Amino acid sequence: MTTDVQTLTVVGTETSRTRRHIISVVSHVLLVGASILMLYPLLWMLASTFRPENEIFSSSSLWPSSFSIDSYIRGWNGLRVSFGTFFLNSFVIAILCVAGNVLACSMTAFAFARLKFRGRNFWFALMLMTLMLPYHVTLIPQYVLFLNLGWVNTFLPLIVPKFLASDAFFIFLMVQFFRGIPRELDEAAMMDGCSAWRIYWKVMMPLSLPVLATAAIFTFIWTWDDFLGPLIYLNEMRQYTVQLGLRTFVDSTGESDFGGMLAMSVLTIVPVFLFFLFFQRLLIEGIATTGMKR
Amino acid sequence: MTARSMETGVSAAGRAVGTQGVWARIWQQDGPGYLFLLPWFIGFFGLTVGPMLTSLYLSFTNFDLLTTPDWIGASNYVRMFTADPKFAAAMRVTFFFVLFSVPLKLAFALGVAMLLNRGLKGLPLYRAIFYLPSLIGASVAIAILWRQLFSGDGLVNQFLANFGIDGPSWISNPRYSLWTLIILSIWQFGSPMIIFLAGLRQIPQDMYEAASLDGASKWRQFWKITLPLLTPVVFFNAIVQTIEAFKSFTPAFVISGGTGQPINSTLFYTLYLYQEAFGFFRMGYASALAWFLLVMIAAFTAFSFLTSKYWVHYDD
Amino acid sequence: MTIRLDRRHFLMGSSALIAAGAAGLRPAFAQGNNLRLIFWGGQDRADRTYKVADLYAEGGGAQIDGEFLAWNDYWTKLATQVAGGNAPNIIQMDYRYIVEYATRGAIRPLDQFVGGPLQLGDFDQDQLEGGKVGGQLFGISLGANSVAVLVNETAFEEVGVAPPNRDSTYDDYMAMGEAFNSANIRGGIKAISDGSYTEPMLDNWLRQQGLSLYTADGQLGFGEEEMVEWFRMWQGLREAGVCVSAEDQALDTGAMESTMVIMGKSATMPSNSNQLVAYQSLSQDSLTITNYPRIEPGAGGGHYRKPSMFFSVGGDEANAQAAAEFISFFVNDPDAAQVLGVERGIPCSAAVREGLAPTLDEKSQIALNFVANLGDLLGPLPPPPPPKAGEIDASVLRVIGQEVAFGARSPEDGGKAFVTEATALLTGA
Repeated sequence: MTTDVQTLTVVGTETSRTRRHIISVVSHVLLVGASILMLYPLLWMLASTFRPENEIFSSSSLWPSSFSIDSYIRGWNGLRVSFGTFFLNSFVIAILCVAGNVLACSMTAFAFARLKFRGRNFWFALMLMTLMLPYHVTLIPQYVLFLNLGWVNTFLPLIVPKFLASDAFFIFLMVQFFRGIPRELDEAAMMDGCSAWRIYWKVMMPLSLPVLATAAIFTFIWTWDDFLGPLIYLNEMRQYTVQLGLRTFVDSTGESDFGGMLAMSVLTIVPVFLFFLFFQRLLIEGIATTGMKR
Repeated sequence: MTARSMETGVSAAGRAVGTQGVWARIWQQDGPGYLFLLPWFIGFFGLTVGPMLTSLYLSFTNFDLLTTPDWIGASNYVRMFTADPKFAAAMRVTFFFVLFSVPLKLAFALGVAMLLNRGLKGLPLYRAIFYLPSLIGASVAIAILWRQLFSGDGLVNQFLANFGIDGPSWISNPRYSLWTLIILSIWQFGSPMIIFLAGLRQIPQDMYEAASLDGASKWRQFWKITLPLLTPVVFFNAIVQTIEAFKSFTPAFVISGGTGQPINSTLFYTLYLYQEAFGFFRMGYASALAWFLLVMIAAFTAFSFLTSKYWVHYDD
Repeated sequence: MTIRLDRRHFLMGSSALIAAGAAGLRPAFAQGNNLRLIFWGGQDRADRTYKVADLYAEGGGAQIDGEFLAWNDYWTKLATQVAGGNAPNIIQMDYRYIVEYATRGAIRPLDQFVGGPLQLGDFDQDQLEGGKVGGQLFGISLGANSVAVLVNETAFEEVGVAPPNRDSTYDDYMAMGEAFNSANIRGGIKAISDGSYTEPMLDNWLRQQGLSLYTADGQLGFGEEEMVEWFRMWQGLREAGVCVSAEDQALDTGAMESTMVIMGKSATMPSNSNQLVAYQSLSQDSLTITNYPRIEPGAGGGHYRKPSMFFSVGGDEANAQAAAEFISFFVNDPDAAQVLGVERGIPCSAAVREGLAPTLDEKSQIALNFVANLGDLLGPLPPPPPPKAGEIDASVLRVIGQEVAFGARSPEDGGKAFVTEATALLTGA
């Protein structure tokens, strides 16, 4: 009898371990399946960059009939200005936008989330409103404004607004996260006589790494992917960003280079992907690493 | 705790000290807030308000991009509601899109974020893979890709053929074309997923540990801990995604080549607005369309904020 | 501690970047006396255009700062620049938009320069006429062009039926369609694409009957009866499986890579003579062009030589003459012509054309010969389209055509709706 009970419990723990094992395997299978679904179209794109130009539109298989890296060579040097210049331009713009957004939006969000002042709700509502107007109708007035400032054909119209917290999305995002940080912390700091600035810089910012990282990632990616701003404000090809470069490969009315476009599209994803991989570590850190406990 | 913190804001300390006079009191109460808002104020008044008000003014004119605008009163708004069948079509398409794409995308993003938050092996890799589709945005490459997937002899139908299903050309059939754009929107669920993940990271682990000791099931933990603490983030994602969905332009523009075809079935509101402005030289009318959209979105947002106190839990 | 360090690094890094980026923060534009040129097209067109600009500068002409964009982006940016009072000096113009820009004073009439800085001595008369709006010259044609049917010769070979030729009628296409259906190759490729909402095809069909799409005073040149008949004819072709299904046709978004011949859905489709070379680069089959089908044997007069695109002059008055001088060089200089080839269409100066002909490759030769030998297919030059023509094409013909194709409207209903809606746009404010 006793042995029976013993075997039962052993079997019991074993089944629970197996069960956990099975759950883990199932999770992985699910995730791998979903990954393939997510990635298939991208793999097709990758495969297409190795195909001859005239085969791109007639084949839906993943395996090209012949491998060639012509598309990459043609794409890189195909335009009057090498794609390397576009990468550099995009990179400079994107990094500066990240710095601007992270600094200016977090300051603004701190005011909205933590400071008390008259008119707060009014300004907050106005700030949200700027998120709601389709950009096509402000395009021309804004162009005229930047033209008068002498900023057209420079990077300034793309960068300066970020340092002036023009991105309501990120302000709103940070407000939501700041409000999730327990009040006790800044109250304690205030008791110690800290100024609002010190609370912002010493308490809130370190505690907000996940959301700051999120803002950095999104800003980088969205700036990198943006084409309307660069399209309107940049005239000279050597100032072009990668997205503008990509769009000059294909014209719907004449001879186009689809191979070059697809190849450069693939290359264009690489820096954003690396940026993402690097910054996503900060997403995982956050509260756990700052050692905060409630 | 929530009640106490209402009383002790940063400004409360200032008020206690402030007896020096009205201006000093005002400075102590409002100063820090407005100082922190200074960059935003410069940007708002210097760069944003001007163009916004200009477009509001233009919505009462017949601006055609190339000549000086003339004031025509509310005619643009009148035309919108009385004499424009395409406006009605665009509204239908946009509301359908918002109604289906936003909840599905959010549910998907939250589900995957929960799955990824469980400390599985290879987590960063999965997270990166799920984010990849959002990296390419909507480009010419996506338009080609979507045609390859959803045309009559595309990959989707090749797959369905294994089960004896003879599918239509999804992307170019007016009955289904909008769904291919909804799928595109869901496929690019990376941004809300990341925001959910960041939100999940902010939930202190010790709360789960305590709940586990009390014998609460995972399911109960989700409803009693995860979801309530995540509501600020859910709220944010819901509002922002809805705004973005109402303003959605590029996917439809790229995939239908700017036409909104077949038969206006993908004529998104902003795509129509763009056609009117830059295709048919009616920027005045387009501005009116834009401001009506703003009013619609603002009404929705205001409603969400009003109801949020019943379901969104803040820590302050 | 580590976080503070990171933050300091972050700040230091960004200030270094600001310094690095400062180079890109200054206007890179060499202003001064340079002329700004804007055009749409791909890299190939850009290479040719810039090379001509260099030739011009080497010969002592003004420096040209060129900018090129894809078709869809082009009109957004051009409109923004013009509206902002920052219009380029030389603007590539399309037939569809020239009336809009000219009637609103966004481009300048060029008549005062003709004979002086702008030499148009041996320029084709029809091409000159095509650039006129309200009797004034607003655009210099960069190449003559004609509508044409793009033909996949390889597909016809596989089916074993003769490809369409100069004499083919709509009935002949019907017969080809049946041959294609019984051969059933390549997953059921059809003989023709659905042209029922292709504006030039409707125009051509009307012109063969002595009618026109628009009259000289900007009204519809035909009535409900013709429109119903047109939709009925295509309904017949669709039901017989001669043309592609409504679903397949709707894959075509106007981009070359989405067209029926390139997608492998049909063996022929309405197109333009100057696009043969570009289409060929996207296809593994051998392509050629021929004329649009005749409505009956011997019927002609549907085609005309249309300017493929123009150069117009915008921007400040002071540079208008310099801009006209460059355009003159662009369309007349023999060396420039060698560089440009027929990429923008067949050159409009007789001398340039003769000098160019022997140097062209095979597909370009086909295009040149086609446009040069239209013969009895050639009809009178139509009046310039009314300003609303573009909108009628994009949002009336296309939408109603698709509704008929998908069966949401009958041909009768569609024909009626088209005439009503188009007339409303033409007569309205």
